[in-house]
Amino acid sequence: MTRGLRFGEFAGEVENRSLIELITSPHPEVRNLPLESVTAGASTTRLLELTVELDAFRRQSDNLYQRVRALFFLHALHRFHLPARLAMEGSGAKGLVPFRGFEHLLHRRFEEAVDTFLFQQTAEGPSDGISSALASAYHRLAFQTLADQVRRSVRSVRGNQWMFRMGHPMDQPLRVRPELKERAADGSYPILREQTPVRMDLTHSAWSDIFFLGMDYPEGAKVLNISVDLGVHGRDAAPRPPVSAWLRVLDEPVLRLTSVDLGATADLVSLSDVFDFAKDYLGLLKAAVIASGVVPPGIEGSGHSLQDLLARLVGTGRGLEIVSCVNDIPKGSRLAVSTNLLGSLISVCMRATGQAASLTGPLAEPERRLVLARALLGEWLGGSGGGWQDSGGVWPGIKLITGHVAGEDDPEWGISRGRLMPSHHVYSREEIPESARRALQDSLVVVHGGMAQNVGPILEMVTEKYLLRSAAEWSGRQDALSVLDEVVSALRKGDIRALGAATTRNFRGPIQAIIPWASTHFTEQLIARASEAFGSDFWGFWMLGGMSGGGMGFIFAPERKQEAQARMREIMLQTKRELQTALPFAMDPVVFDYAINEQGTVADLLTGNDALMPSNYYALTVPGLLRLDRHGLPVQRRVELDKFGAAARTNPDLRGMVQTLFDVLLPKGRTDRADALSLVDLLASNGFDRSQHEQIRSDLKDGRIGLAQNRLRADTGIEDVQSGDVALASALAQVPALRRLGEAALAAGEVAVVTLAAGAGSRWTQGAGVCKALHPFAKLGGKHRTFIEAHLAKSRKVGKTFGAVPPHVFTTSYFTHGPTAEFLERVNRYRYPGLLELSEGRSVGQRLIPMVRDLRFQWEEMPQQRLDVQQQKVRDSLRAALMNWAQSVGEAGDYTDNLPLQCLHPVGHFYEIPNLLRNGTLARLLRERPNLKTLLLHNIDTLGADLDPVLLGAHLQSGACLTFEVITRRLEDRGGGLARVNGRPRLVEGLAMPREEDEFRLSYYNSMTTWIDIDALLAAFGLTREDVLGGDDARITAAIRTVALRLPTYITLKEVKKRWGHGQEDIFPVAQFEKLWSDLTALPEIDSRFIVVPRLRGQQLKDQAQLDGWLRDGSAAYLESISEWE
Amino acid sequence: MKITKALITAAAKNQRTLPLQTLVDRDGIPRTALAIIIEEALAAGVDRIGVVVSPGDQAAYAAAAGGHASRLDFVEQKEARGFGHAVWCGREFTAGESFLLLVGDHVYVSTVAAGCARQLVEVASREACAVSAVQATHESKLPYFGAVGGKRVAGQSHLYEVSEVLEKPTPTEAEQRLIVPGLRSGRYLCYFGMHVLTPTVMELLETRLGSTPAGTGIHLSTALAELSRRERYLAFEAEGARYDIGSKYGLLTAQLALALSGRDREEVLGGLVELLAQRAR
Repeated sequence: MTRGLRFGEFAGEVENRSLIELITSPHPEVRNLPLESVTAGASTTRLLELTVELDAFRRQSDNLYQRVRALFFLHALHRFHLPARLAMEGSGAKGLVPFRGFEHLLHRRFEEAVDTFLFQQTAEGPSDGISSALASAYHRLAFQTLADQVRRSVRSVRGNQWMFRMGHPMDQPLRVRPELKERAADGSYPILREQTPVRMDLTHSAWSDIFFLGMDYPEGAKVLNISVDLGVHGRDAAPRPPVSAWLRVLDEPVLRLTSVDLGATADLVSLSDVFDFAKDYLGLLKAAVIASGVVPPGIEGSGHSLQDLLARLVGTGRGLEIVSCVNDIPKGSRLAVSTNLLGSLISVCMRATGQAASLTGPLAEPERRLVLARALLGEWLGGSGGGWQDSGGVWPGIKLITGHVAGEDDPEWGISRGRLMPSHHVYSREEIPESARRALQDSLVVVHGGMAQNVGPILEMVTEKYLLRSAAEWSGRQDALSVLDEVVSALRKGDIRALGAATTRNFRGPIQAIIPWASTHFTEQLIARASEAFGSDFWGFWMLGGMSGGGMGFIFAPERKQEAQARMREIMLQTKRELQTALPFAMDPVVFDYAINEQGTVADLLTGNDALMPSNYYALTVPGLLRLDRHGLPVQRRVELDKFGAAARTNPDLRGMVQTLFDVLLPKGRTDRADALSLVDLLASNGFDRSQHEQIRSDLKDGRIGLAQNRLRADTGIEDVQSGDVALASALAQVPALRRLGEAALAAGEVAVVTLAAGAGSRWTQGAGVCKALHPFAKLGGKHRTFIEAHLAKSRKVGKTFGAVPPHVFTTSYFTHGPTAEFLERVNRYRYPGLLELSEGRSVGQRLIPMVRDLRFQWEEMPQQRLDVQQQKVRDSLRAALMNWAQSVGEAGDYTDNLPLQCLHPVGHFYEIPNLLRNGTLARLLRERPNLKTLLLHNIDTLGADLDPVLLGAHLQSGACLTFEVITRRLEDRGGGLARVNGRPRLVEGLAMPREEDEFRLSYYNSMTTWIDIDALLAAFGLTREDVLGGDDARITAAIRTVALRLPTYITLKEVKKRWGHGQEDIFPVAQFEKLWSDLTALPEIDSRFIVVPRLRGQQLKDQAQLDGWLRDGSAAYLESISEWE
Repeated sequence: MKITKALITAAAKNQRTLPLQTLVDRDGIPRTALAIIIEEALAAGVDRIGVVVSPGDQAAYAAAAGGHASRLDFVEQKEARGFGHAVWCGREFTAGESFLLLVGDHVYVSTVAAGCARQLVEVASREACAVSAVQATHESKLPYFGAVGGKRVAGQSHLYEVSEVLEKPTPTEAEQRLIVPGLRSGRYLCYFGMHVLTPTVMELLETRLGSTPAGTGIHLSTALAELSRRERYLAFEAEGARYDIGSKYGLLTAQLALALSGRDREEVLGGLVELLAQRAR
C-alpha cells in the first residue's frame, strides 16, 4: 500500500479539542490539524456528540468555508468513523433509510434530506444504514455549497456581470467591428482567425488549481504553466498552435457554428438553439458565443428572436459564422485542449465585438484575464469544469500561476479567503534564459498513452481530502509545494536532470500520497520499461493533469531524445497491446512534437484571396453545397466556392483536398464489411438463439416486455424479512461445531470457488468494454493487482491453511474469454497451485435499439438524480437527442453501429452455473475432485468473499440447496434485496420491485455470494452427477431451458461507448434482456437460506469512484488480511 | 473662473441640417433648434458664441439664429476629422479662456428653474476647473456615448471626480473601469453633450492632432481622458434631460419633451390622449 495512515490511526498527540476549534481557530497550526486529532479513540457516543455539535455549527455559521469544512467532517464521521465503531461494538441495528430522505437527495434537497435522516437516527438509534445516508447527504451538500459559490463568483467577476442583466435584443450593447464588415472586391467578408497554444503543467500542482482549493488556500495554489505548440510526431511537419477559432460576417441572419474536428455544423436560427448544449457537438462553440456576450446569458428564455439580436450586433439581415478547429490532437491529452479552444473562441468573439482593444496580434494582460473569466463562465455553462490554470495557453511562454488572496475590491471579499481568478507571472528571458527553455525542449518527450479516464471523481477526492487535512495528504500537499520551488529553480538553471528528479519525486511522493489512483499499472509499466531501455539516460517521469495514462512526459538525456521518441512509441504500443483488454484505451498511443509558444493567443485578419476557412472545413461543407443547385446558393457561398476552387489548385496547404472531396462525394464501398461479418460469426459461435431474439424483439415492440413490465404486480405483498428468516454470521461464529464442519470440508477438498468474470464492467469503465476481471485496480501487497489475482490470493491462502487447494473457476463470456485465457497464460496463471479453470459462456444476445417508451420510463418515471441546474439542462437536452436517435434509427432494431463485441450482450448471470454444466467445466471438476460437494459463487467485484469455514459449516449443516449471503443495506445498495413476497422469503431484483419505495423497507441487500450444494442444485434441474459426467448435451440443455422458462425475462438499458475520431466517445443506451440468478430463490423446490455477513465481506466494488472509500474504510486492509500473494 | 464664451459644434456630416430644424419651444413659440441652444447658452451668462460649421453653412446658420446672429462668431471646420478636431477649430475664438461647449444636435430640458447650461457653468465657476455634464445611462446605450468613471466628491450629491474616460466603451470595459459607487447597477455616467473646458483641452487636442496621421479623426474623449490625469476634472449630473435630435424619432421626442414641460402641456397631452384613444378603438 502506498499510503501511510488510515483513519483512526492518527499518530499525533490527541488533545481534548472540539472539532469546531479546528475549523475556526485563527492559528493555522490548529486549523490544519486533521479530524483524527480529535476523534481518535472516541466512543460511538462521543462521535455522535461531535456530529451534533458540528451540525449545529454549520447551520449557524455564515462563513462559507467553515460551513463546508464542517460538512466534510460530518461526511467523514458518518462514512468512516461511525460505521467502523458500530461494527466494532457489534451493533446489529438494521437502520432502514427512509425513502422520503432518498427522494430529497434525488431532487437535490440536501438540507431536507439531512433533517429526515437525523430524525430517523434520533428515533431508531444510530446504524450503518443511516450513517451511509447522512454521509452521502452531507457530502453532496458540501459540494453543492462549493459549486454555488464558484457560480456566484464566476458571475460576479467584473466584465461578466452585465451579460446576466441583458435580456432584450434592443439592449445588446456590442457591435461587430467595422473592419469585419468591409467586403472585398469579390463581395466576400474578411475572416478573423485566432490561433492558440495549449498548456502543459510542468509541476503538477497536486491539483492545487481546483477552484475550491485556490479560493480557500490561495497561498498553496501554484502551478508552473507552459504554453506549447503541438504536432503528432511522425505525422505533422512541425508543431503549431493546436487550436484555432475563425469568425466572419454572413449575409444571412443566422449564427452558423462549425466544429471542424468533430465534423458538425449547424445554422442556428433561434435563441433556444444557442442554449441547447447537448443537441449536437457544438456545445463548446455555443458556450463561447454565450460567454463572450455575443448571445449574452441573460437573454436565455426571453422568447426574443436571434435575428433581432444579430441585427443589433452585425446589422439587419446579417449573421455570424464561427468555426473551431483542433489540429487532430486526441482527447485526453491532459493539455487542456478544450479549455484553450474555448479560450480561443471567446477571444475571437471578443475581438470581433470590440471587447479587446486589438483586432489582431496578441492580447493585452487585462484582456487575457477577461478571456480567463469568460472561459470559466463558459465551462460552467457547458456543465464541464476545468482547473483555473487551464486557459494558460492564452498567455505566452512560461508562467507561474498563483492563487490570490481576496482584497476589499474583489467580489469574494468576506466570502472566501482567495479570489476565483488567479494571478499570472510570465517569466522573462532574464528569469528563465533561452538556453534553459531549449534544454527543456531537448529532453522532454510528451506523449499520449491512449488511456481515456474520467477524472471527475479524482477532483472531488482531492477537494475533500484537502478540507479534511488528513495527515498524510496534508503533508503531501506541502511537499508538492516544495517540489514546485525545486522545479522552478532547476528550470532557471537549465538543469533538466534535476527537474526530472523533482517531477519523478512529485509523482512517487505527494501526488500518490494524496491520490493513490493517480498512477496506473500501465503507467508503472511504461516507467519501468523506459528505465530499462535508457538506464541512467532516463531522467524522470512527469505526470500531467488529473490522472496518468493519457498525456504524460518522459525526460531523457538530450542526446537520446530523438531515439527516445521512437522507442517510447514502441514501448507504449506494446504495453497497450498487453493491457488493452484490461484497461480502457481510447486510441493508440502517440508521441507529440512540441515547442514553447512565446506569444500566447494571436489573431490575424485574412482578407481577399486569403480569406479561407481551415481546409477541413471545406471537406465538411463543400459536398453538401455541391449537391445544391448552384443558382440557389447565396451569393456569399458561390463566391467562396469559387475562391476555394481556385485555392485548391494553387495553395500548397490545400494539397490533397481534391482527393478528400472526391472520397466524400463518391464514398468507397463500406469498409466495415469485415466487422459486419465478424458480428455474424460472433453470434454464430457464441450460441446466439435467433428465434428467441426475434421473439424478444416482437414482445418488446408490442409492449409485452419492457422496463415497466419487469415489475411484479402492484398488488404483490412485499415485506421485510423476519428475524427467523436470516442467520447472523456474527452469531454463527460463536458455534464451534460449524467452524469444525467447514474446516473439515475444506481440508477434504470438497469445495470449489466460482468467480463471475464474464462482465465488461459497464459501470467500472462507463461502458468502455474492457474485462473488469483483468483490471489492475489497486496497489495491494506493494503492486497493482487485478481482480483475478486478488481472488486467487484468497484461495491460495485457504489452500495453505487447510492443506487442500480449492479449484477456482472464472466464468467468462464471448467478450472476456479470449483475453482472460491469454492474460492468464501471460502471467503464468499467477502460479496458482490448484486447479484453475475458465468456464466459457454459451449464451449471448444481440443488443437492440431501445424503445422510446423504455427510455421515457427510465428517464421520466423512475426516480432520477437531479443534477446541478446547468448540468441538468445539458442532460435533458442530451436525452431528447437520444430519444430522437432511437426513433430515427428504428426502435427495437438490431444495434450494429459499433464494434461487433459492443453489439453483443451477456444474457444474465443465471446462465453462469448452467454454463458449467454445458461446457464440461463441472464435469472436469468432478472428475478431478470426485468428493466435490459445494461451490462458492461470487461476483468479480465482491473482493471480501472467501471460503470462510464458519459460513461453509452453516451452509452444510442446514442442508440447503443455496445459501445466499446478504448485507445490511446502505443508501448506495440499490437493486433489490431480501424480502418476504406473499409471505415467502426470497430475493427480489430491483427491476422487479412493484414500487420504488418497496426496496427501502428491506433491511438486507443481496451480495450475490452463494454457497451451492451441487447435488441439490442438479436435482432441482432434474439432473444427476452422472448426467453431468456423461456429457449428455441435449438432456442438459433441455433441463436448463425448463428452469429458465420459469424465471422472468428482464429488459434492461445499458450504456455503451462508441469511439470515433481522435479519442472522442459517445455513450448510447441500448436494450438487452437478462435472466438473473437470484430469481432461483422464488422456485419453491429450491431450498434457499440467507446469512447476514459483515460489510467488509459482502461489499461490492462497482465503480472506480468507490476505490478511495474502499481503501480508507478498511476494506482493502481486510482483503490483504485474507490473501496470500504469489 | 468666469465663463463668457460658448462653442457650439455643428459641422459633422450627418449633423449639418439638424440645428436648422424648427421646434416649438416651452413658451409655445416656433424656433430653430439652433436658436434654442443659443438661448440655453446665453441664459448661462455667456456673451459670445462661436459656432463651428462646415464651409458654406454660415448664412443658413445666421438666419436660423433668430435675433441672436450678432452674438455669433462662425468658425469653419475645413476637413472632417472628428469631434475633437471640431472643438480644436474654435481655439482662436476661445483664445486661451475656459469656455462652455455645446453640440448642435442636442436640446436640453431642465427640470429646475435654471437651465442645464447654467447649472453647469455655476458649478464650473465655483469649482474653478473643467466640468462635463453627465447623465446616468443604461449600459445598452453605451455604443452611443463617451462615458466617465470616478468617485463622488465628498458632500456633493451630483458631482464626481473623473478618473477614467472611454469613448463608446463596451459594457465589458465599462464594468471593469467605469463603475461609479452609488449608481444603479448597469448604469454609467455618459456625456450629456455639454462641457465647461479649460484651455488645457485645446493644448491636448493640438498635441493629439500633431501625432495623428492627416485625415484621421480624433475624439474629444481621448483629450478629456488625458485631462483627468493632468488637472482636476469633474463630472456633474445636471437636473434635466438631453434629447439627441439626430437619432431616430429624436426630433419628435425632443419636441414632446419641450411641449410637456412648457405652457402648452395640457393641449399636447390632450392631443396625445386622443391619439391613443383612437388607436385603442
